[in-house]
Amino acid sequence: MMTLVVGGAASGKSEYAERLVVHAGETPRVYIATMQPFDQESLRRIDKHRRMRAEKHFETLECYTNLASAQVPAGSTVLLECVSNLCANEIYSPDGSGENAAQAIRRGVEHLRGRCGELIVVSNELFSGGSIYEGDTLRYLKVLGQVNRELAAMADDVCEVVCGIPCWYKGGERFYDLV
Amino acid sequence: MTLIVGPLFNGKRRFAMELLGCGEEELSRRAVWDVQDLAGSCSDLEALAAELSAHEVVISTEVGGGVVPTDPAERAAREAAGRLNCLLAKRADRVIRVFCGLPMVLKGAL
Repeated sequence: MMTLVVGGAASGKSEYAERLVVHAGETPRVYIATMQPFDQESLRRIDKHRRMRAEKHFETLECYTNLASAQVPAGSTVLLECVSNLCANEIYSPDGSGENAAQAIRRGVEHLRGRCGELIVVSNELFSGGSIYEGDTLRYLKVLGQVNRELAAMADDVCEVVCGIPCWYKGGERFYDLV
Repeated sequence: MTLIVGPLFNGKRRFAMELLGCGEEELSRRAVWDVQDLAGSCSDLEALAAELSAHEVVISTEVGGGVVPTDPAERAAREAAGRLNCLLAKRADRVIRVFCGLPMVLKGAL
């Protein structure tokens, strides 16, 4: 099963996604980290999150591009965070797939979904802050918008997290008792 | 009239085509989109809402999130776009928000 969790900055989407992982039960838990550390601040941030997840017995797998090559145990619970980072990496990184970024991400998610038991994918809502964009920003938003729509179509459950509360656009019934 | 709102690049037009069971060409006759761009330069939003409501489907992108623009004209345009959405929603038989390509009914029924 696959759940897509979308939300704005600091909406509580990561925390909610982690609750979904715990809800999935005592299977091996894999966290796929997509943020490339560029400076001390990002390294500290990564370290903090890594320690937090260690308490929940996650194994962390770093994957900046080419998600389709990520090896996860069969039947595991996988948390992929965050598609917005992955999308930027695929578009702009020398190792990325450039023009084929959306396709690479979709294929990568399909690969994970076929392998794991529960897949929870986190993405960002970046699209309600106006419509006047150009150049690289416009290009990035178009790709991420397409990826979000395609992942939503693939997913069994789709929610937008607002103030830590999930609003379900698709499915979600199996999580109603989750507090 | 059906009002379809939602964030940028979230599949509003594609959903409208599904709703009407038509392609892009027919959609341009039966629907109007990017109406948020008409609000800024409009002196009578009520009249604009009334005129737009003659269409079967009206599609508007939500632009009110994010930081308030520092440019006065952009600020006014964003304000007007939000007002226009409210006026359209009042007139609409149904209002649907499309998020990641998925519809949520805010008024009326699908």
